[in-house]
Amino acid sequence: MKVLLVEDNERVTQFVVKGLQEAGHTADHAPNGRDGMFLAASEPYDVIIMDRMLPGEIDGLAIIEALRKSGKRTPILILSALSEVDERIRGLRSGGDDYLTKPFAFGELLARIDALTRRSQGESAQTRLEVADLRVDLLSRKVTRGSRSVTLQPREFKLLEYLMRHADQVVTRTMLLENVWDYHFDPQTNVVDVHISKLRQKIDADFERPLLRTVRNAGYTLTSHD
Amino acid sequence: MKFARSSALTLAVAYTSLGLAALALFAAPLWYAWRVTIQEGRNEVLQSDAQRLTEVFRRDGPSGLVSYINARVGLQIAGERLLLLADESLRPLAGNLPEWPSTVPPNPGTSNVKLELGGHLTDVAVVHAILPEGYHLLVGRDTARFQPLEQRFWYALAGAVAILSVLGAFGGILIRRALLARIDGIRRTVSAIIQGDLSHRLPTHDSGDELNTLSRTINGMLEQIELLIHGVRNVSNSIAHDLRTPLAELRSRLEELALTKPSTEQTFAEIDAAVADVDGVIRIFNALLRLAEIDSGTRRSGFVPVDLSAVAAAAVEFYQPAAELRGSSLMLASSGPAPIRGDPVLLAQALGNLIDNALKYTPEDGTIVVEVRAGGYDSSVEITVADSGPGIPAEQKPKAVERFYRGDASRGTPGVGLGLSLVDAVARLHGSELRLEDNHPGLRARIVLTQDTPQITRVERATSEQGGFQHEPVYP
Repeated sequence: MKVLLVEDNERVTQFVVKGLQEAGHTADHAPNGRDGMFLAASEPYDVIIMDRMLPGEIDGLAIIEALRKSGKRTPILILSALSEVDERIRGLRSGGDDYLTKPFAFGELLARIDALTRRSQGESAQTRLEVADLRVDLLSRKVTRGSRSVTLQPREFKLLEYLMRHADQVVTRTMLLENVWDYHFDPQTNVVDVHISKLRQKIDADFERPLLRTVRNAGYTLTSHD
Repeated sequence: MKFARSSALTLAVAYTSLGLAALALFAAPLWYAWRVTIQEGRNEVLQSDAQRLTEVFRRDGPSGLVSYINARVGLQIAGERLLLLADESLRPLAGNLPEWPSTVPPNPGTSNVKLELGGHLTDVAVVHAILPEGYHLLVGRDTARFQPLEQRFWYALAGAVAILSVLGAFGGILIRRALLARIDGIRRTVSAIIQGDLSHRLPTHDSGDELNTLSRTINGMLEQIELLIHGVRNVSNSIAHDLRTPLAELRSRLEELALTKPSTEQTFAEIDAAVADVDGVIRIFNALLRLAEIDSGTRRSGFVPVDLSAVAAAAVEFYQPAAELRGSSLMLASSGPAPIRGDPVLLAQALGNLIDNALKYTPEDGTIVVEVRAGGYDSSVEITVADSGPGIPAEQKPKAVERFYRGDASRGTPGVGLGLSLVDAVARLHGSELRLEDNHPGLRARIVLTQDTPQITRVERATSEQGGFQHEPVYP
């Protein structure tokens, strides 16, 4: 995956670029708005990570708006120290696809850009999701593991659907909160973990091969690989 | 001080000038009317005089008029009325002027001229008539006798101007004194406040005059400032205290790591723990930033119609597994849609905090009831979260919503003491407040909000009542 990072802080840049390379991606870096604009417009990237406050005349949101106006559909993750709800809304309105506030955990960033590239590949037409012998029929809302039928509450179904759509990717607790419950805040306690373990009870208990796994310091993943 | 003086003075000068202008506006037409009336009346008299003399001339001929004029001149007081009959070549025949005055225009008619009378120039109004056979007749009147009257008029006007000016100046001084005394009182209080004592208040009394209203408004502002300063002081103290602890832990952890250089495996474990410490600090910061964001009131602009029942149902559903895990029962009691205007994200977070708190403090097999009651007689929407935990002692209740406050019951539980502050802040943003009541036993957290009643919601509610089932209201 080819990633463009537009970010002026050197430490953050180093941290992100190294992490991306470690994860097997290639990363280009632009330290200011002008270079960022130039690279984003001329090179093909799978995803762009954009800081909002940049040195020089062009800020992150202006770049995003310009890119969207010129028809570029590259998924963009906004990375910003501006954490207020209104700022977040402004970022997404300008054409960003996701918004992550600084300081952030690298696992969170990686999981989110993975989710973004997956989303941009298009999967909306699917009516059936499958991971190993776990099957979800989105139309009849039936879930089966092997030959056994699994009964889920509506919210559990939504949680499983999200995990299935992002199969083999790491999904963080915040991503689950935002996408399954539409909660854009920190609910203090580990309620998400409790929901996951309940879901795990229903789909993984009594099966030799667990599909829903915990990824240390990051979140969860639903995968059939080891 | 300087401002007060100059403003009072400006006011007095402005009022006096205005008075003078009014006086001038009043006097000018009066003066004009008077002049015109006198002049016209005089000219009429002169003209009728000339008319009469002309008739005498027509009846008795020149000699008859000469004797008539001589008789008139002999009767009247010298100087008041002028009469002169002259022949074709303007040689005087009879009258009380020694010769035909050269200043009188040659054409017949009325005019004002200056004449040498008794040795000095005098203003005279004359009528010049030409009689048959080329005789000239001059009838005139000395206007000087009106001059004293005119003078008196001007004197009276000057007197009025003088009185008005004096009154204006005096009034200005009085107003200034009265204003200054009160403004000085305000100034003294404000100076005391500037020096740092925020407890001072401006003197007010019962009257509703402007200064008093202003003083009351300023007092209200001071009240708010004092509250805010107090809050900021509290918060910064608490932040300093509550961040010091995790930061100290983090510091010692890292320093120990550098000093002892343990095995790689243990080093990584320590680094993970350090990252968790930092996450804890970030969490506190985020909570504080969120509080500041709510307190600023800017979120109010993003208010939308929200069904509080739906928000509560989602929150209860979200926390249900956590309650089950603890062996507590979490229940929702809702009387149907509860429409309000608000921020759905913040309301969900506030409700989440209340449920989270209740879960934390309720012992196993406890009961937590979330209740949403809408459409009371006062069209309010009430949301309560009641638990069967230890509750909060009455004397600690006011402190419970303060930032970083952690009651006795919270010892040994996770949290930084910002949960209820956030709930209170959200309630205040929505024009309400968080009330903590006794649930006998346990805590009963209550927020009363105002119902949002757009027309369509009422219709929707009516149909849902008739239909005997509930569904989510549709908002325009």
